[in-house]
Order: sequence, then C-alpha cells, then structure tokens
Amino acid sequence: MEPRLIDGPDALPDGEVVRRVLAGEAALFGILVERYREEFGRYAAALVGDPDRAADAMQEAFIRAYRSLASCRDFARVKAWFFRILTNQCHDQRARRRREAPLEGFDAPARERADAAVMDGEVRDAIGAALDRLTPEQREAFVLRHVDGRSYEEMAAILGTGVDALKMRVYRARDALRQQLEHLHE
Amino acid sequence: MSELSKFSPEAQQYLDGDSAVRLEGAERASADRLEQVIAAYTAQLRVPGAEVDGAVMRRIRELAASRSWWSWLLAPRAIRVRPAVLAVAAAVVLVVLWRVGEREPPVRAAAQTVLVRFQLAAPAAHDVTLAGSFNGWSEGIPLRKSVVPGLWVVTLPLPVGEHQYLFQVDGNQWTPDPGAHAQVDDGFGRTNSVLVVGPRGVAGP
Repeated sequence: MEPRLIDGPDALPDGEVVRRVLAGEAALFGILVERYREEFGRYAAALVGDPDRAADAMQEAFIRAYRSLASCRDFARVKAWFFRILTNQCHDQRARRRREAPLEGFDAPARERADAAVMDGEVRDAIGAALDRLTPEQREAFVLRHVDGRSYEEMAAILGTGVDALKMRVYRARDALRQQLEHLHE
Repeated sequence: MSELSKFSPEAQQYLDGDSAVRLEGAERASADRLEQVIAAYTAQLRVPGAEVDGAVMRRIRELAASRSWWSWLLAPRAIRVRPAVLAVAAAVVLVVLWRVGEREPPVRAAAQTVLVRFQLAAPAAHDVTLAGSFNGWSEGIPLRKSVVPGLWVVTLPLPVGEHQYLFQVDGNQWTPDPGAHAQVDDGFGRTNSVLVVGPRGVAGP
C-alpha cells in the first residue's frame, strides 16, 4: 500500500484524506483502511463472533464506504460515519452466521482444539449465546466498553448516544452474561 | 431474568472501575469472575489482519479505474463531426432499433444473487484458487488466507441456482470441496462439488 503515514504528527487528518480521495487520489483511501482496521478490528471480531466473517464485514464496509464517500456530510467525522457502516455489516454477518451455522461445521473441530488452549469452549459459547440474546445496541455498547476498553465518553462520541443510555445498555449486557454464566455452573 | 442474576448498582459501578466502591462477598466474587471471563474471551479473539488492507485496496483500484472511465464519458466536450457521417450513423441506429423492435421481448432472468463463502483447509498450500460453472470454469478465483491457520476463504456473489465447482491448490490438481453438500461425476472421470444457492442463502444438504 502506498501511503504509510497512518499515525504520528505527519499523519494526514481523516478529513483531509477524504477530500483528497474524492479529488481523485484513490490510493490515499488506504490510510483510512489501515487506520480503522487497526482501531476497529477487535470490535468487529467480537461483534461478529467469527474471525473470517469479521474480515468479510470489514472488507465490505470499506468498499461501501469508498463507494458512498461523497455522501459523508462531515469529512472530519468520517470515523463515526464509517463505524456505523462497519457495525451494520457486522450485525449482518452475525445474523448470517447463525442462519448458516450447520454449513460451517467442517472446520469446527480444528478451531475448538486451537481455542481449548486459551479458554474453555463452554465459556466462549456461553458468552456467544449471551451476546446473541442482547439487542444490537446493547451488544455494540458491551463490546466497545469491555472488549475495546473505551470510556463511556469515547463511546458517546463514536455512537452519537448519551452516556446514561450507554451505561444502561452495558449494565443489561452484564446482567445477561452473569445469568448465562450462572447456568453454566448449575 | 430473576432479580438474583442482576448486578446491584454498586456492582455495576465496581465493574466500571469506580475505585470508591467497596464490594464484598458473593457479589464481589461474581463481578470478578465476569471480568476474568471477559478478559479470557477477549484474549482468544482473532482480529482481522493486514490481508484485509490488500484485498480492499485491490478492489478500490478497480473501482477508481472504472470511475475515471465514466468521468471521461460524462464530461462535456466539443465534438466536430461531418453532417454526412452523422446522417449515416442516424440511419444505422434507426435500422437497428427497427430490427430489435420486431423481436419477441426477452424474458428477464432472475437477477437475485446471494453472497456465498467458500473455504478449504489446506495448511501446506501457497496458493488456492476456485473455478466453477459460475465463471465458465475459466480463470481461477484466488482465495485468501484466513485468520484461522491453514484455512483459505473467499466470498462471492452467486446467482440463485445449482453450481458446480472445484478448488486448485498450488496450480496443481483440481480438488473437490470436502465440505460440499454433494459431489457429482462430470462424465470425464473428474468429480465436481455441488452447491445449491437459494434466495436466503446456501441450501442445506
């Protein structure tokens, strides 16, 4: 990829990147791709619950963002705009994964073996099941808070939602997880 | 959900990292356990890597190229043309339109397409491609390395219907998909994998 100035004092601000991409420097879009892939990769992986589908969701989100870049109203806030596109793609991929779950069985034993060294598969499944029971908004908030480790103020800036409402979503998600984990040990 | 399985407001503050909150007993143990489980879950996540950047930018370059072609077509420009040439061109267009108008209206094919993900476990492979009835068995469509070690994947938009396909590993022999719903003899001694795409996704076996 041509541009390397992703971070640091010499990095182009998001709004400037968008202006130049729309003026014809398509390769500069790579700055946003690398920047946001690094920032939101963990979020996408947790929200989808499957690494390959998370990669598909990110890929599709970037291409959709590029196609409709001119419709982004505030170039300086392109990150929040892209975040919404990515989140929608992640929800789609999660729903598709649940629908097509039996089709993905053939490599499941290999994945489970690999995961067993890191954490108990039952616990992972319990978290997955608990996340499935949340509303999409609660799931987003929980992942941003606990997987990404963001403050409520950061979350509010990205999601455009008030801090109190975000706290309520995170609290409900924790309650659901607690209940799921209690079942696990009954 | 029972009240017992809900965290108290103090426990929620504790989980938010409020150091002023003193939590004791069973509720403290429950909150700590939740934090440990979340940490373990987070540690095992496989995050999309730099392979996403390459795939996206290849597609962006294609889109940018087609966009500049359209810009050239749509930009206003002065054209000089001989009236005689214009008259001949208009006559040709009229004849073509007249002939087309005589034909039966074509039946519109169902344009519905569905995104389908192909995957093959090939840990030793350096390169995996895919060909099938959906691309006329022509050039191989490259699969990318998954974040799951040894797994190769690609997602394609396919029309609703039945498709046959094969993988090719390192440019050598053609390989059926071990995860396919069905395999069929192609009549030339080769076995093709079969995939049935319905309007709501890949149909079950």
